[in-house]
Amino acid sequence: MSGDKIGTDNLNTKLISVKRYLPDRSTEPYWQSFELPVDDSTSLLDALNHIKEQLDSTLSYRWSCRMAICGSCGVMVNGIPKLGCKTFLRDYDGEIRIEPLAHFPVQRDLVVDMEIFLEHLAAVKPYLIDDNPVKPFDPAAPQTYQQSPAQLARYKQFANCINCGLCYSACPQFGLNPEFRGPAAIALAHRYNLDSRDHGKKQRMAELNRHEGVWSCTFVGFCSKVCPKHVDPAAAVNQGKVEAAKHTLIALFKG
Amino acid sequence: MSKQAMNKPAMNKPAMNKPDNPQGTTHKQAFDEPLWWGLFSAGGVCFAVFLPAVILFVGVLLPLGLLPAEALSYQRASAWLFSVPGVLFAGAVVCLPLFHAAHRLRHGLFDIRVGSDTVNKKVMYGAAALLSVLALGVVLAGMLS
Repeated sequence: MSGDKIGTDNLNTKLISVKRYLPDRSTEPYWQSFELPVDDSTSLLDALNHIKEQLDSTLSYRWSCRMAICGSCGVMVNGIPKLGCKTFLRDYDGEIRIEPLAHFPVQRDLVVDMEIFLEHLAAVKPYLIDDNPVKPFDPAAPQTYQQSPAQLARYKQFANCINCGLCYSACPQFGLNPEFRGPAAIALAHRYNLDSRDHGKKQRMAELNRHEGVWSCTFVGFCSKVCPKHVDPAAAVNQGKVEAAKHTLIALFKG
Repeated sequence: MSKQAMNKPAMNKPAMNKPDNPQGTTHKQAFDEPLWWGLFSAGGVCFAVFLPAVILFVGVLLPLGLLPAEALSYQRASAWLFSVPGVLFAGAVVCLPLFHAAHRLRHGLFDIRVGSDTVNKKVMYGAAALLSVLALGVVLAGMLS
């Protein structure tokens, strides 16, 4: 890493190796190296765009917002899941190896199939349940659900998830068993369970208190390390274990 | 592009905001896991709080002669061990840490893909339970004799 002042005049060239997979040409993935000009402001996404535009237009990858909010540009950088737009080449010395996100089926080059993640997400019902006001909406006297700053603070951190899937690539348990609901889905379930407007906790607990729910987690904690939005899914999953244990005890006594 | 081609697999899936269990998955509850996890957590606390103290006193200070010789003389030690505090001692220093270790070993074996989790579970928690019964049995036998 350059300890000097960061600037756009610090021109340099860097070597990037990209794991290519073109199923219409070959069934085997292969590595392709690119040498490209970079300065201190070059993000990995900038580099991929440069490759696509100047060096090899067959490269496929996802991206959209360039500012770490759309969650599209997740890739493995030297084996660590990262957002392309939030990763700067100035932080890397030597060869930089780019692979598609781990634990997901690869469709083409850096594009993975996130279907299973979306299924896990849908299964935990990440939306407000039964938040309808008791009486019908009256335009003359509209009633909104009020939430105090303290009530908001309870779940706010877990609401920052952008569904980029980096935590699934970081999670060894998801790698071993793709049926595991996984960090982001459980973190979002926890976020809605903590929301004062929500009444769906019972439904979600039935989903979380399964072997493939919170109990598949062994608290490796890497999900929280790679999360680009500091959601801390590991904390959510382990608070979910406490909730699931309580849920089981209550179910035991209520029958 | 034909309409068929536009119809990606994801489009056939039920929408996220539809009520009730779109995948039709059975919510098979893990009733045993909270128990194992509870024992694991309790054992972790014991491992962190009690075991270092026990090792310090019984494993370091006593052999080095830094404690009075009669601090754990046979009479004193047996009178103390074969009593209610002795049962609690065995539970906190032997039984709960055993379940903590069993839980870790079970998950470790799963991580390195050794055996099947169903069998590992029975072996690990079974061994922990067996050794716990043995430890508590020795204490209780001493109390009764």
